[in-house]
Amino acid sequence: MTSTDRDADLAAAGLDGQNRTALGRLLGTGSIGHAEKGSDGIMRATVRIPEDELIWEPSILVFPEGGEVELTLINDDKNTHCAVLPHNGDPKIIWLVNHSKGTARLSLSGPGTYYYGSTTGNDEGRGLTGALVFGGEVPDQAKQDRPPQPRP
Amino acid sequence: MTDYVDAGEAVPHKTLSATKGQAPATGNVDFERIKNAKSEPANWLTYYGSYDGQRHSPLNQINSDNIKKLTPAWVFQAGMNGLHSGASTYSFEASPLVVEGVMYVSGPDGKVWAIDAATGEELWRYKWASPYDVSLCCGNVNRGVAVGHGKVYLYTLNAHLIALDAQTGDLVWDTVNGDVRAGESGSVAPLLVKDKVVVGSAGGEFGLRGHIDAFDAETGERQWRCYTVPKPGEPGSETWGDENAEAWQRGGANCWVTPTYDPELELLYHGTGNPAPDFDGGVRPGDNLYTDSVVAVDVNSGTIQWHYQFTPHDLWDYDSTMENLLFDAPDGRKLLAHADKNGYFFVLDRTNGELIRVFPFVDRITWGEIEPDGKVTPKVYPEEEGVPVHFWPGPAGGKEWTHMSYNPATGLIYVPVQEVGATATRRRREFKESIPYWGAGVAVDLDDFYGYTAAIDPVTGEEKWRWNNEYPMCASTLTTAGNLVFQGTPTGEFVALNAETGEKLWSFQCGSGHHSSPMTYEVDGRQYIAVPTGWGGWVEGFLPGLLGAAAGDALFCFALPES
Repeated sequence: MTSTDRDADLAAAGLDGQNRTALGRLLGTGSIGHAEKGSDGIMRATVRIPEDELIWEPSILVFPEGGEVELTLINDDKNTHCAVLPHNGDPKIIWLVNHSKGTARLSLSGPGTYYYGSTTGNDEGRGLTGALVFGGEVPDQAKQDRPPQPRP
Repeated sequence: MTDYVDAGEAVPHKTLSATKGQAPATGNVDFERIKNAKSEPANWLTYYGSYDGQRHSPLNQINSDNIKKLTPAWVFQAGMNGLHSGASTYSFEASPLVVEGVMYVSGPDGKVWAIDAATGEELWRYKWASPYDVSLCCGNVNRGVAVGHGKVYLYTLNAHLIALDAQTGDLVWDTVNGDVRAGESGSVAPLLVKDKVVVGSAGGEFGLRGHIDAFDAETGERQWRCYTVPKPGEPGSETWGDENAEAWQRGGANCWVTPTYDPELELLYHGTGNPAPDFDGGVRPGDNLYTDSVVAVDVNSGTIQWHYQFTPHDLWDYDSTMENLLFDAPDGRKLLAHADKNGYFFVLDRTNGELIRVFPFVDRITWGEIEPDGKVTPKVYPEEEGVPVHFWPGPAGGKEWTHMSYNPATGLIYVPVQEVGATATRRRREFKESIPYWGAGVAVDLDDFYGYTAAIDPVTGEEKWRWNNEYPMCASTLTTAGNLVFQGTPTGEFVALNAETGEKLWSFQCGSGHHSSPMTYEVDGRQYIAVPTGWGGWVEGFLPGLLGAAAGDALFCFALPES
């Protein structure tokens, strides 16, 4: 199946928008974006909340590895939302009134996946749950002393 | 459209709380102080209260005469928000530590707090962000922190050893110690010994090759690593098949419970976990050292000095990770007591691993038999592909990782006992990193279970008394000089028993099952009993009959009325 097939299937099933087949937007059905690593080593990306979609766009952000992150968060919706984001030390929160823009600086280890959301009302259940996905491998000193093993 | 409203920058969530962000300075906690922890019973300086793992306190303000007056002093709610590491359990499994009125405790999902031990006020908090998709056999739990050298040490779900400033909770250093892509994780409470912090691996259900690691407590630099499955050519490698066999590479023997330590012998006594795959022994012929063993590890070099294997060639998931309690016999002999998942209680000479005594401590053992001389005879086990086999104890064991305690006044060891069986059906599968590697389908019994607290004389092997419970006992015991034994039940009661007789003297309904370790301390002359609650971890393994029970994440603290 190609991604176009997937998009078409989600649309046909009414799973790619608000108040169609389901009440909210099915989680994990948004687009995929990639962060860019700057010369300063910080990985940057922008996510938006489009009008009446109750979704982070892109809803899946991929980072090459764990490290320092700078997210630009834009609320293009005509309602107020927020973001509670994972961060080593304590989760970070930013309030996003209608038509607002802010930033979040995060420190996260990889590899692995983290979720974040707008924790006001039931924004998370309606679709405002996004993923931050970090690739890479752990440092050599943290690996097992054994021959390479098969992976799925 | 106008320009965007400036939303500013995201701020730490804790800035929108009443947490102070600062704990008072305490006296320095170092090796000498922990070594002599019993001389300052007001504090609980290390995971078991002392290096010997006895979980006994000399405090006696709260005692069998006044226990009925015991009342809640304060409650601390861990609370959870977000979806950062799964909604799998969110339960406490830790033992809190207390230093001069400051309590340090870890919760699920990477959280650590400093709490005013007299009032329950939150002093600081720290949350390690845990990836949601780490391979975890048993939920997003953590068993506790170590405190010393002005730092608080935590081993995270994604196998980072981190050090926090004990006064502020700020990160001091972060060392990556495990490979999450290989199915590795972290849950153990670190142990501070000499200038080192010691942690062990978790990941036995994912075919991880187990290991114990020691780090410089100041810098986080690794000093040694000790693998608990030998590779070809090393002592014990002959127990993994012929020289071409590959089973050792994914052999298990992980070390996810804190070791005990003898400062005179300078030996760490570390329990090791099950072999992998858990239930399919056909792919790993031999005894599979050092799985299901106690290994005595030289703390300076990280080398194994001796070992004793409790279940050779395990086919029932009988980890031996749980504590090896150190005590001395009346004749002065230095001994070690271990109540294994396999239902047998072992007493060893801790200088050399010689078996002194072995006897059953549970009612129902069908997997096999261990004779008084230590000879092991398997009887019932998954062998034929697709054929269900029922056995007692189930894979959570007659006693799980939760801890027993020893009272020197009574000479008794108080053991939490689980009477739960299980059925395993061998289903061979190939190994792939990060995918569960059990080699069977397993269903733990949903009925015909019960439990008790057993008071066992380790010198004679006699069970002096038992306190029966409708449900298996799945939490650690604590015993005190007040002639008391404390333990939580799966249905939420926190119970105090008479240490001499087993009579139930007091209980308090905490509203959630217990699967952690109570402890005691004193502040300004007032003794407190603290118990973290939470019904999670691996309920489907140790008591699935209560999978739907009430669960919470509160830490309760009790004391006598101040008047």
